[in-house]
Amino acid sequence: MKFRILLANCLFALLVWAAFWVLVTLITVGLGLTGRLTQSAWEVAAQLPRWYALFFGVSLIHEYLPLYVAHGRTRRQFGVEGALTLILFAPFLAALLVISYQLESVLYGLAGWPHVLERAHMFTEPTQVPLVFTEYLIEALAWSTAGAFMGAAFYRFRGGGLLSIPVGVLLIAFAHSAMGVEPWGPFLLAWLRVLSRVVFDLPDSPLMPLLGTVGVLVVGLLLTWAIIRDMPLRNQAS
Amino acid sequence: MLDDRSPIYRQIAERIKADVMSGVLKGDEKVMSTNQYAAYYRINPATAAKAFQQLVDEGVLYKKRGIGMFVSPDAQEKLRAKRRETFFTEVVDPMVAEAKAAGIPLRDIIRRIEELEDS
Amino acid sequence: MRIEVEDLVLRYGDVTALDGITLTLEEGKIYGLLGRNGSGKTSLLSVLAAFRKPTAGRVRIDGQPVFENGRVTSRISLIRDVGETVNIGTGEEALSYAEALRPNWDGEYARSLAELFKIDLKKSVKNMSKGQRSAMGIIVGLASRAPLTMFDEAYLGLDAPARQVFYDQVLADYLAHPRTIIMSTHLIDEVSGLFEEVVIIHKGRVLAHEEKDELLAKGTSVTGPAAAVDAFTAGMTVLGSRSLGPTKSVTVYGELDDARRRKAAESGLELGPVDLQDLFIHLTAEDGAAR
Repeated sequence: MKFRILLANCLFALLVWAAFWVLVTLITVGLGLTGRLTQSAWEVAAQLPRWYALFFGVSLIHEYLPLYVAHGRTRRQFGVEGALTLILFAPFLAALLVISYQLESVLYGLAGWPHVLERAHMFTEPTQVPLVFTEYLIEALAWSTAGAFMGAAFYRFRGGGLLSIPVGVLLIAFAHSAMGVEPWGPFLLAWLRVLSRVVFDLPDSPLMPLLGTVGVLVVGLLLTWAIIRDMPLRNQAS
Repeated sequence: MLDDRSPIYRQIAERIKADVMSGVLKGDEKVMSTNQYAAYYRINPATAAKAFQQLVDEGVLYKKRGIGMFVSPDAQEKLRAKRRETFFTEVVDPMVAEAKAAGIPLRDIIRRIEELEDS
Repeated sequence: MRIEVEDLVLRYGDVTALDGITLTLEEGKIYGLLGRNGSGKTSLLSVLAAFRKPTAGRVRIDGQPVFENGRVTSRISLIRDVGETVNIGTGEEALSYAEALRPNWDGEYARSLAELFKIDLKKSVKNMSKGQRSAMGIIVGLASRAPLTMFDEAYLGLDAPARQVFYDQVLADYLAHPRTIIMSTHLIDEVSGLFEEVVIIHKGRVLAHEEKDELLAKGTSVTGPAAAVDAFTAGMTVLGSRSLGPTKSVTVYGELDDARRRKAAESGLELGPVDLQDLFIHLTAEDGAAR
């Protein structure tokens, strides 16, 4: 069966999200009732899923690659399925966050709490579905790609994998800056715009952040492939 | 002299020979397959097959292609004749030697044999 | 599956794990792979299963290269102590991945094995005991029915009755579904009955590869008065010797013809078999007693 990993992870993520949603909602209500709620709680809570995406990327290499290779798949076959899994898992995570903001907006509306954002985002209201989705899609893609790359480096080179961390951070920084949002700075986006105009003669468009993310994704996956294409399975359990 | 090489397949061959000699396995009767022997003795079927091959070479068993192994019709008589030939050198002579070493007079042995015969 | 290995070298950095292995294994037999710790057993099996790319040399299975060749690797299963095929969620989940990825998977057989080994498949594999995790590996390895099935010390942590179940199942499933099986082990006495051929590797090289019965026939213990034993074994390959007062027992390696056997009997020497484990210990002895 194709996309066994994707299905298993979507299912598991759904369970984790449900538990997390209950927790966040309880805290929200707690803060709201004591009058200390001044902003969207999910704006804060949404900083955790990016780490979840990172570790999902790591697990692709640390657990699923050895599993697939040990069951007779080639690294190439796994590479293709793994990349597709990673690309399709990101919109699933983003959709969960869209739902979280939507549910939150209903709750805030009923309770009369101020549903405001304190930080800069691609969206200005938590209910701007396409923009909320895009921002978290970019985030999930970048963090899981960086996770896969760093996971591969640590699996193959053990301590030497430390050297992959700056590269992983750079991948994530590029994607965040492609959103054109503080605090990552419009600097990189501007740089990207220049690059795209000069090199590819592309018009400036709202799709620019996604385009930048595709670039990060391609670079990240190629770097990962360079590590795993002839990677041995470890002889000892990690 | 006893063959000390690979005791297991020798054991199997000896067991089958004993069954043939005592009539438990009769002429033209099918014997269990190598796989059944392998599973029973927990050994590789190739080892069991060696025991069978040895018995085929000795004329105790014959092979029917695709069906299995069967006891040769004259196997019992052949084995008995062979046993008669070696009985004294392999059984009686060592017994006498051991009796001598233990200080048992031959008369006692003969008396014992006669007792067994009578009972 | 037929395995051909030529001048295989595998290095981990400065360490040479396999130092020129040349080996041909015919299809459809059960092989015992013996070697001391660090001799290169796991390395050899890992290369055969395409877990590792060889540093140099050639590996062909059914005439085809192995590394990154899906048509071949999909027919190969290697179960190692690391547990890469089972360390994924619960027992059920591990079996479901095997089912999805293994072309000849027999789910019913897997479940019956789980019952035999008393494995609770609802339990997370990582929370199972060492023995239970080993049993999970054995279940996956057997039920995959791969034409080339390899177990690398797959019994670790299993108690004696469970190991007996393992050996019985390997034999029964081999008889029902003949295939090429390679088992590496340190518990030689327990499994040697299953082997048709034995490969002994030592320090990354093949020390012996023979039919098990032939190999066993080469080992003989010669016991008797010390002087007579010494006279008889002069010029033979002596693997080891022990003395008890005037009596000496020497293990020799090499075929003894009937003339030699008669001579031994005439000199009042007792010839006896050497079991595979003793033979292995003598052959791989580090003190230079090995040939």
